[in-house]
Amino acid sequence: MNTLTTDNFRAMLQRAYACIKAREDEFSKLDAITGDGDHGTAIVSAFSAAIKASEKDADFKTMLNDMGFAIMMETSGSTSTLLGAFFLGMSNGCAGNELDANGVKALFNGGLANVRKQTKADVGDKTMMDALIPAVKAMDDCSSDDIADLLSAAAKAAKKSAEDTIDMIAKFGRARNYGERSKGSMDSGAASWATMFGAFAG
Amino acid sequence: MSDVRIKFINDPANITAELLEGYVLAYADKVKLGGENIVVRAHAKSDDKVAIVTLGGAGHEPALSGFVGQGMLDASVVGDIFAAPGAQRLFQALQMFQREAGILLVVLNHSGDVMSANMACQMAERAGIKVKQLMTHDDISAGIDLPIDDRRGLAGCVPLFKVLGAASEEGKSLDELLEIGNRFNDNIATLAVATHSCTHPQNNAIIAELPAGVMEIGMGQHGEGGGGRQPMLSADETAEIMINLLLKQLKPAAGAKMMLIINGVGATTQMELNIIYRKAHKVLEAKGYQVVASRIQEILTVQEQAGFQMIAGLMDDDHINYYYKQADAPYWTTIG
Repeated sequence: MNTLTTDNFRAMLQRAYACIKAREDEFSKLDAITGDGDHGTAIVSAFSAAIKASEKDADFKTMLNDMGFAIMMETSGSTSTLLGAFFLGMSNGCAGNELDANGVKALFNGGLANVRKQTKADVGDKTMMDALIPAVKAMDDCSSDDIADLLSAAAKAAKKSAEDTIDMIAKFGRARNYGERSKGSMDSGAASWATMFGAFAG
Repeated sequence: MSDVRIKFINDPANITAELLEGYVLAYADKVKLGGENIVVRAHAKSDDKVAIVTLGGAGHEPALSGFVGQGMLDASVVGDIFAAPGAQRLFQALQMFQREAGILLVVLNHSGDVMSANMACQMAERAGIKVKQLMTHDDISAGIDLPIDDRRGLAGCVPLFKVLGAASEEGKSLDELLEIGNRFNDNIATLAVATHSCTHPQNNAIIAELPAGVMEIGMGQHGEGGGGRQPMLSADETAEIMINLLLKQLKPAAGAKMMLIINGVGATTQMELNIIYRKAHKVLEAKGYQVVASRIQEILTVQEQAGFQMIAGLMDDDHINYYYKQADAPYWTTIG
């Protein structure tokens, strides 16, 4: 795959939504260990708002913007703020309706940059950033011109880093209060974002 | 032992909606609901003036909605108990106050509020709404001279609302208000002390339990620990420790004009607050400072947490002028 089109991306979103929906309960259970146990529901409803907005006929940049707005207007909480920020940021980074490898890198880097504006969490803090940051970095480090290679590098990195959160102590949000007790389970946000990147790769 | 079973509430899920409903019914001449969980002035300020908007969780009454009114806030966007209102509701309020003069959004430095504000402003920018943020960071419990990002926003936002509201009524521009507000923020410091922590009124969770006879200097406004646990001291001893820490941050020049406010956080009596104020005021006078603005009041509470916040600030003539201009909010009135 040498270019990523709006329709390619719509298909990626549909796959991601299906995979996230299938694991909804699992994400909520992970969240309940150190949080309020609603991450599965929250990520599914945020994604569902985004999917609905993505079905309208629009250019790539506008579609991403509308997805971000739809998430923000229809759902609330940190899960949706971060996912909404991701799509709004991707819209910032989107240049054209057919993106080559560099265009795809710019797209995802735009998403990451905007999520960074919402949270100071970094790799190792046991949050969704443990999936997002390594995924985008793996894309940047991938020298292939084939977009499928970029997406699969991102998926692999996100999966591995999400698994790394099992041994981490939470440093952000409510989970932080659990200290050592937060060890032993995967961060729910890292798990759901890694699932998204996995599904993007197909 | 505090317990939701001794609280006069109905369904815990309805606390925020019901408390706001009661509030606007009681003060209908000054405030009303402009939307779900959005408190606005009953008589709106004219559109050619900058709107002052803030946001924050419920459970801290009278803050923050108690200061919506003429000469203070134009709107307060309210979240659920101790929770940020979410970008969506905040964006709704920004749409409501869209105007050429712009909106100044005052954000207390708490991660949820900051996140909601950043996102709402990003949406506003895309929608062509002119808005700028002013972050408050008066808490010094994490240490003296720390970067502002590490300092939370406590009750020092309330006198800031007063100053900004007056300056905005006078027709100051958005950039001028930002400058006035930043200058006020840079010269204000707050320190909290608690002798009893609070419970979350919706789930009965005890936030940071304190043993009897122990006080904690630096406890935040959701009961988060500040680290300074020590055996309980007398009013004078406590007031002296706290005002001296605040002075260490503020570094007033000789003879400086100062503001001193004691904010009761819920379960400490007015009697105690007066005694605390007395000592802090006397320390300032003994050091040759002039107290030009002062108040003893519950302005921002934390359920049944016992203790208080001591707010001190250096006032320049500009700020003194705005502090004494007319204001008519349900919980802050100045004849002017």
